[in-house]
Amino acid sequence: MSPSSNTDTQNDDRFENLRQELRRGSLPLAVLAALRTEHYGYTLRKTLADHGMAIDEGTLYPLLRRLETQGLLVSQWREEDKRNKRFYRLSPDGKLILKQLLIEWKSIQESLEDIF
Amino acid sequence: MELVDRYLHAVKFWLPRNQKDDIIAELSEDLRSQIEDKESELGHKLTDAEIEPILKRCGSPMAVAGRYLPQQSLIGPALFPIYSVIIRSLFLYFLVPWMLVWMGIAIFSPDFRADHPGAALFASLKPWWLACTYSLFFNTLAFALLDRSQMRSHVVNDWNPRSLPAVRDRNVISRGGTIFELTVVVATLATWIQLDAFRRTFHIFGTTLTLSSRWPFFFWALVVVSLAGIALTCLNLSNPRWTRFTASLRLGIDFYSFALFYWLFRSDMLQSLSASDVSFADASNFVRSFDHWMASSAIWVLIIGAIVVFFDVRRILRVGPTA
Repeated sequence: MSPSSNTDTQNDDRFENLRQELRRGSLPLAVLAALRTEHYGYTLRKTLADHGMAIDEGTLYPLLRRLETQGLLVSQWREEDKRNKRFYRLSPDGKLILKQLLIEWKSIQESLEDIF
Repeated sequence: MELVDRYLHAVKFWLPRNQKDDIIAELSEDLRSQIEDKESELGHKLTDAEIEPILKRCGSPMAVAGRYLPQQSLIGPALFPIYSVIIRSLFLYFLVPWMLVWMGIAIFSPDFRADHPGAALFASLKPWWLACTYSLFFNTLAFALLDRSQMRSHVVNDWNPRSLPAVRDRNVISRGGTIFELTVVVATLATWIQLDAFRRTFHIFGTTLTLSSRWPFFFWALVVVSLAGIALTCLNLSNPRWTRFTASLRLGIDFYSFALFYWLFRSDMLQSLSASDVSFADASNFVRSFDHWMASSAIWVLIIGAIVVFFDVRRILRVGPTA
């Protein structure tokens, strides 16, 4: 491997790590926002992916559980298409927190734009 | 779907008991939805070979289960730096020197090898292994307990910038230390010369001692080293900071001194002893025992010398080429 391709690989890795870190931080907000409409896990993943926020099942389901434990989501097992699925939606607390987080998100966005 | 069932079973093994079924049901539903979507896309039932990449992308069973567990650590990030410093110091200043000393003795001391033949040589390392195991075990245990106790917040939060240690420049040489060194070297050299120590024969309390023919060479060589030591202390007094030159001179003096003593210790230094009330046989026995003791002690000169030289080399590397 030539030194320049080695540097390119290192840069790609660094970019990928930082990109994932950045996206990881915004995932709870994206999930809460998407769950203003009721979804079960798989459709939620598809919805997020359709909006450019692809998330793997290994990350999404533990996150959903964490948000539910914090009282921001409520879930319910229900049968649909002859299969049991767990449907999630925002709880009243979740709606409140989402509103606050969106304000914070906009403030961060404005600050960053100022810096850029 | 047998492959999916096997995968889910493997994930289930690592999950917390009270959430196993719930998590597996949800994960199963997701995987089956993915497979159904893929089947509609391809127009046929997926084979195991086609299911495999879906499961691989999902992650290893242990990793997937791990994401559902609370983040745990034996020693948290707040205390880990202290733990790490203690363990590293333990190895660097205690266990590694111990091992080096053992290796030195095992390599250079025929008496030690004779006393510990074959496997007994390695069995003589048992205290070292025990020290390693106990020190690692008890340090880790102590820090793990501390991390879970109330004292953790005391250690982590109760601090004051004023109580932090002052920044110490390790290249600064203490004037007190230099003056002490100069005094010792000058006093030793003066006594050395005063006693006419370059002679080979000494009369002490009615006893005549005759030293090896190497003794005068040792004497003059030591005088040269002492003079170099005096020159170095004078340089350090005029500029109390290690430079590449003074640090290298220190290394040279130390290396030369220890090599000289090693050479002396192995040279049958005491050649003969005579006293009116000691028989020739007893005197010969004493000379033999003394020289044997000196020769077997030479290894310690080598070990101490190696440690001193190690720190001297570290000093040179620390000072760097530009200092």
